[in-house]
Amino acid sequence: MPATPAELRVRIGGEAGFGIKAAGQMLARTFAHEGLEVFDLTEYPSLIRGGHNTYLLRASTEPVYSHVEPVDVLACLNRETLDRHHAEVVDGGAVIFDPDDFDAATVPQRLRSVPVPLTAMAREAGGKIMRNTVALGAVLGVVGFPLDPLGDSLRQQFARKAPEVAESNIAAARAGYDAARAACPDFFVQLSPAPGAPPRLLVDGNEAIGLGALAAGIGFYAAYPMTPASSLLHFMAAHEKSAGVVVKHTEDEIAAMNMVVGAAFGGTRAMCATSGGGFALMVEAFGMAGVSESAVVVGVFTRPGPATGMPTWTEQSDLRYVIHAAQGEFPRVVLAPGDREDAFRLTWQAFNLADQLQTPVVILGDSYLSDNRQTVPFFDLDEVTVERGKLIAEGDVADHPEALGPDGVYLRYKVTEDGVSWRALPGVRGARQLANSYEHDERGFGALGEEAAVRLAQNEKRMRKLELARAIVPPPARFGSPPEEADIGIVLFGTTKGPAREAARMLAREGVRVAILQVVTLWPFPAEEVAAFMDAARRTAVVEGNLTGQLESLVREHALREPDARLHRYDGRPFSPEQIARFVKEVL
Amino acid sequence: MLTAADLERGALKPTWCPGCGNFGMYRALKEAIEELGLAAEELVMVWGIGCHGNGADFYNVQGFHGLHGRALPLATGIALTRPDLTVIVEMGDGDGYGIGGNHFLHSVRRNIDLTAIFHNNQIYGLTTGQASPTSDQFMRTPSTPGGVIEEPVNPVGVAVAQGATFVARGFAGDIPHLKELYKRAIQHKGFSLVDVYQPCVTWNKVNTFSWFRERIYKVEDLPDYDPRDRTKAFHLSMSTFHELTCAPDECRIPIGVFLEDPDSFTYQDGLPQLDRPMFKHAERPRDITQALEPYRV
Ligand SMILES: Cc1ncc(C[n+]2csc(CCOP(=O)(O)OP(=O)(O)O)c2C)c(N)n1
Ligand code: SF4
Repeated sequence: MPATPAELRVRIGGEAGFGIKAAGQMLARTFAHEGLEVFDLTEYPSLIRGGHNTYLLRASTEPVYSHVEPVDVLACLNRETLDRHHAEVVDGGAVIFDPDDFDAATVPQRLRSVPVPLTAMAREAGGKIMRNTVALGAVLGVVGFPLDPLGDSLRQQFARKAPEVAESNIAAARAGYDAARAACPDFFVQLSPAPGAPPRLLVDGNEAIGLGALAAGIGFYAAYPMTPASSLLHFMAAHEKSAGVVVKHTEDEIAAMNMVVGAAFGGTRAMCATSGGGFALMVEAFGMAGVSESAVVVGVFTRPGPATGMPTWTEQSDLRYVIHAAQGEFPRVVLAPGDREDAFRLTWQAFNLADQLQTPVVILGDSYLSDNRQTVPFFDLDEVTVERGKLIAEGDVADHPEALGPDGVYLRYKVTEDGVSWRALPGVRGARQLANSYEHDERGFGALGEEAAVRLAQNEKRMRKLELARAIVPPPARFGSPPEEADIGIVLFGTTKGPAREAARMLAREGVRVAILQVVTLWPFPAEEVAAFMDAARRTAVVEGNLTGQLESLVREHALREPDARLHRYDGRPFSPEQIARFVKEVL
Repeated sequence: MLTAADLERGALKPTWCPGCGNFGMYRALKEAIEELGLAAEELVMVWGIGCHGNGADFYNVQGFHGLHGRALPLATGIALTRPDLTVIVEMGDGDGYGIGGNHFLHSVRRNIDLTAIFHNNQIYGLTTGQASPTSDQFMRTPSTPGGVIEEPVNPVGVAVAQGATFVARGFAGDIPHLKELYKRAIQHKGFSLVDVYQPCVTWNKVNTFSWFRERIYKVEDLPDYDPRDRTKAFHLSMSTFHELTCAPDECRIPIGVFLEDPDSFTYQDGLPQLDRPMFKHAERPRDITQALEPYRV
């Protein structure tokens, strides 16, 4: 089934170190600049050199929410790309390759062979290193997209280098373009720029989260590198001076989490982020944030586990883990962005929730969110607010009688109806406070926290915040048909949102109506909304990227509903829309 | 200004074992704070977990009683975002040199501007007397019934070798001397280590007050000792290994300032963005128009 002419799906593959990702991203930027919507997917093993890397790009005149399985064009920078990926190419799809790498006769008959002497042309233009640029030119040539915008992108990319660098790359692209145009002038996909598109952003998930944190007024970011969170550390470090943030690459994740709690104690909006293994080290201090009522934001970006697992691949298997992490019981909020737009909004909201509830807030992402880029509507900056909750930042605590005990002494952990006490920062006159990782009394004294009555009062006070949370956390989001009219209602969380929305769009064309409920706040779990949605839909399914059905178990436990069907994926790859669509057709 | 009496007023009464070395450290620190004329609002204290950490309840200050071994990173988070505050951290030897050893090493090399005071009783107090990283080799404890096999950590030596800019050792039995060490350490710009021998009268029956009294001497009494000379400081730190069996005339333990580099480059010096406390960044949404530019299409 060829794609509609308004959409191109291309995969570029080669050995790590060939510049596959850089080339692909250049192409994505070029399309996006010319008004198309793009989504990309980079797949690579945990190696710097060697191993097989691929970059998948979708460009369309319509919004795109995920990658797809079949491609129209396969650009092979080596033989392995053909072997591994030819089956994904649609009938009549183009295979761009270097006849020096393999014989044209090995390209399956059903596909269109586009031989382009990548190496020779790159050498001609100035160096073998530009093979990837020749291939880029060839992709544009096949689909008849003008070459000039790529030239502009190349000039921008190499702006800091000698002008010859950009010019020889442009020459390399042109050679590939002309060769492909000549070999394949009548390809079934022909793309043109879409002038007049509104301003948008092309970002990956970590960039969106970083931008959300900056907008929220973050003052401190600490982390220890771990895929796929590392690029967020780089992002924050790059903005350290201009935004005035302190960014610390710590000795380990334990230090990162403790530093973040310290920064929050001083009143700073503070965040750390890591993947499952790093979060394992953070867990004790995560609990300390809970009992000390510290306003912190923690990013946990899942990759397949346990232990070191599959570092560069994706999964949704840390849901139960973040919901239960740390000993004892304390309130927390877990938010799971489904795409890059969510990532921005939920991040600045996470800082507000942390301050309003004085408790840790987790942003639960995954590699599929962190690593891949998507065009999104320009972020609505007017929507961003800063809510600091019950905070006394400066002045004299005596001016805040609500923060004091009967004897006029400031009570950091004063028992209140909504569970939140007034937080006075160090430096506020008269507000001497002891924040404590031990159970404690209203002033913070640990020895008194062991009294049974004090323990009850403090424990219950903290847990009351969950009730407040229910009123202020983001509700589930709905997509597709209304559940009452749908053939099936799908419950999901996180990045399964994109492929499921695409699947719903595909199925709608075939007359199948799908309703989607994205559980945005996983904790506290929106039991009522989930139950209502499932009751309204004729059939229901839970789709999630793990083996054991962690979301489904929450649905059963809290919404007291059992789905009719379930789809799990846990091979390190994200769901594709095709896979979800096939599943829906099977269960209907 | 805080007085020693203020620091106790409203706080709980110490519950340490009668005779514990923590009492001397408590008194010396309260007096040091009073003599330095610190305001209540500008001082923050941070504690680890152990007998020493229970001190959190005994001071009427703003502070944070953190996790076992993690007081230094917790304090670092405060110090790196609130340059307007004076930060004092108290830790135990198991706490700071054992479980928190990695943070100790990195805090030293970072030269974070804060003061780290170690209650070094060469034993785990709160968990009932197991060997600590500073217990002497061959010491018998419930966790080492056959005697400790490892060499003890030499905190002073490690700190000197790792580039610390203020390294001192004190003794809980000499309060006036300890108080002066504290004052110098708190005034020092950069990471200050004060490792204090703090006899645990309940669990450590070897390194007692009298054991120390017979062996201790003051660095200040050495002829021409220059605390700016890192090599000499290192040599001196190596002279301190004492064994359980050593007689007073065989092993002598220096206390005082081993090393002091008054013009050090602190971590905070490397952060020009600390021109205002970081909480002020979140008074309203930050304008990210510039940051969005590279992503605009
Ligand atoms: C992660 C963790 N492990 C173990 C403990 C138990 N624990 C509490 S205090 C302590 C040791 C205390 O010894 P030290 O640090 O020397 O302090 P002291 O009690 O001697 O002052 C231990 C192991 C803990 N609280 N947290
Ligand atoms: S157990 Fe030792 S260190 Fe702890 S209070 Fe008693 S004497 Fe002091």
